[in-house]
Amino acid sequence: MSAMTSASTEVSEIDSSARGPISLLLAFALVWLVVSGALALLHFAQTLNPAFLADCAWLTYGRLRGLQETAFVYGWAGNAGVAIAVWLLGRLGGAALRSLNWLTVGALFWNLGVLLGLIGIARGDGSSTPFLRVPEYVQLLLLVAYAAMAIPGILAWTGRGRAQTFAAQWYAVAALFLFPWFFAAAQIVLVHFPVRGVVQAIGAVWYAQSLWNLWLASLALAAAYYLVPKLTGRVLPGYDFAAYGFWTLILVGGWIGGRHLVGGPVPAWVATIGIVSCQVLVFHYLIVAINLRGAFTGRGSTALSLVAYGVAAYLLGGLVDAVVSLRAIAVTTQFTWVTQAQTALALYGAFSLIAFGVIYFLVPRIANQPWPSAPLVRAHYAAALLGTGGLVLGLAVAGVIQGWGLLEAGLSFADIAARTRPWILVAAAGQAVLLAGNLVFLFHFARLLVKKPAVTAAELLRQPPTMEASVS
Amino acid sequence: MRNGFLFFIGLFCAAALSWAGVVLWPHLQMGSLVPYVDETEGKAYPLRLSGIAAQGQMVYDDLGCAACHTQQVRRPGFGSDKERGWGERQTVARDYIYETHVQLGDSRLGPDLANVGGRKTPYDAEDLYKLLYAGSGAMPAYKFLFEQRSIADRQPSDYALALRGNLAPAPGTEVVPTMRARALVTYLLSLNHTFEYPEARPVEPTAENEGEAK
Repeated sequence: MSAMTSASTEVSEIDSSARGPISLLLAFALVWLVVSGALALLHFAQTLNPAFLADCAWLTYGRLRGLQETAFVYGWAGNAGVAIAVWLLGRLGGAALRSLNWLTVGALFWNLGVLLGLIGIARGDGSSTPFLRVPEYVQLLLLVAYAAMAIPGILAWTGRGRAQTFAAQWYAVAALFLFPWFFAAAQIVLVHFPVRGVVQAIGAVWYAQSLWNLWLASLALAAAYYLVPKLTGRVLPGYDFAAYGFWTLILVGGWIGGRHLVGGPVPAWVATIGIVSCQVLVFHYLIVAINLRGAFTGRGSTALSLVAYGVAAYLLGGLVDAVVSLRAIAVTTQFTWVTQAQTALALYGAFSLIAFGVIYFLVPRIANQPWPSAPLVRAHYAAALLGTGGLVLGLAVAGVIQGWGLLEAGLSFADIAARTRPWILVAAAGQAVLLAGNLVFLFHFARLLVKKPAVTAAELLRQPPTMEASVS
Repeated sequence: MRNGFLFFIGLFCAAALSWAGVVLWPHLQMGSLVPYVDETEGKAYPLRLSGIAAQGQMVYDDLGCAACHTQQVRRPGFGSDKERGWGERQTVARDYIYETHVQLGDSRLGPDLANVGGRKTPYDAEDLYKLLYAGSGAMPAYKFLFEQRSIADRQPSDYALALRGNLAPAPGTEVVPTMRARALVTYLLSLNHTFEYPEARPVEPTAENEGEAK
């Protein structure tokens, strides 16, 4: 029984007590991920053939874009991110999670809100503000539901067993605490008491940027900072600097939205501060790269490999932001698919890949049984990498071609569309592969939940690494 | 980070600082912009949207037109906005002060629409209706904004589209824009940012001012 005591930190009361709520959140997350993938594929079909479903008022090109984005960000990323953050705060807090009923109830209302939001956008009640497209009538519901979901996470932080804290906790708490803050602030200045004129556009980019840096990126980093040392079995190099990296992101993250308004009808300083902040943030990416470099050399599990690719996408995205924000380059890439390639690199590359890695790690621990099938893990792993790569590459090349085309004043939009078409096809193929992979993932997850454990718990405890679905 | 309370204060202040700097500061700078009164014409610019145009803006918003169209012209020399005929000058903050929901847009799969109603070769309503009804190479048709109805027992509508060729409706029927289509087209034709505000005079790019121009 000595194996059992040594493994008791690996599968413990902390994990099994959270099984229900965390599984619920992850199930919702994966369903929304598949829904958003299907919507994104329809969106590409319309890009390639504008007449496709054009007679369906619920699925105009603009509404489909809003639908897939909302399903992805609030459905998949919101649910998965909160599940991961709460779980790791519980583990690092060293005690079983408390008030988990809040998480369950909050999750039900949050997902009701997402569903109503999607219906509202399809009906035409939404708005065109990127990342804040849900109708006014669900915004408050989402805000309150999120606050409820965050309670167990915050309680695990304030009631933690040890005084010392870890970088993973900082990022997780920041994401849980700050999202309601700027979500509420954005609702006030954009919806309830709209500011005048182009200040709305500035508020909208501030919100979109905060959503990424202070929420989704923070959630992804929390997961990476937790998993990398755990899976490599080594202390993070340069960990003393992690706090500087954290505070740089928190302080500067909200400022860089203005880079999207280069050349726009706003004071030049708005764009300039955005560009400068983008360069300052390179310091943050540098520290993350130093801290998490073990992920790239470590070998072993699928989970670690997914996290490594996710961290690489995160770092690459930061450097691309810093370059593309410069005016000399933005003049070409602004208003093109390049912007969407950057979004895809962040959301599909950085956030999703890291989240996949953590889910492969945490689900066997909370469910107390291993993933049923290694081939399914391998299939999803390959599809996630291949699909994300195709999507980002296709969009980026299409964007550059589109940007050059836009600069040629004589070239019509139909001609530009014809030139970018092959690369949009690449991106659409990537999206299709991603969708197929995510369907596999959803099926696999469902099978794990309904299946009776084939391996006894004691056997599992003796070999914790088998639960990480090592396939490499 | 041992002090939990201080940690929350730090998070709060960091977010509040970016909100103050990025949103509040521009609001203080531009939130009280007033229209520019042109003494020679006796008019104040920009003009307010008419009621039906304001409804059209809501249609523009909910259909998601901003997914493909921007409403911002960049200054001459920065991109080819002027060469494409989208506007002679860059759009400025004052152009937008009456808009209830500003739609700058972030993607140009189609042309910029900031000056649909004020171009050198302006569109008329008929062109826009036909474009919405039939689409074009890169633009979907929005047929659900139109109603095809019989004219057997009533007067033809004043708004009926004059369609020819393979677009022509079946004999005895007509294609009439719905209220939403009419509001949308009225809104689009009201988009006219051609008045020369003092702050909007184009800075012609020269070797000396290229670096410092906005």
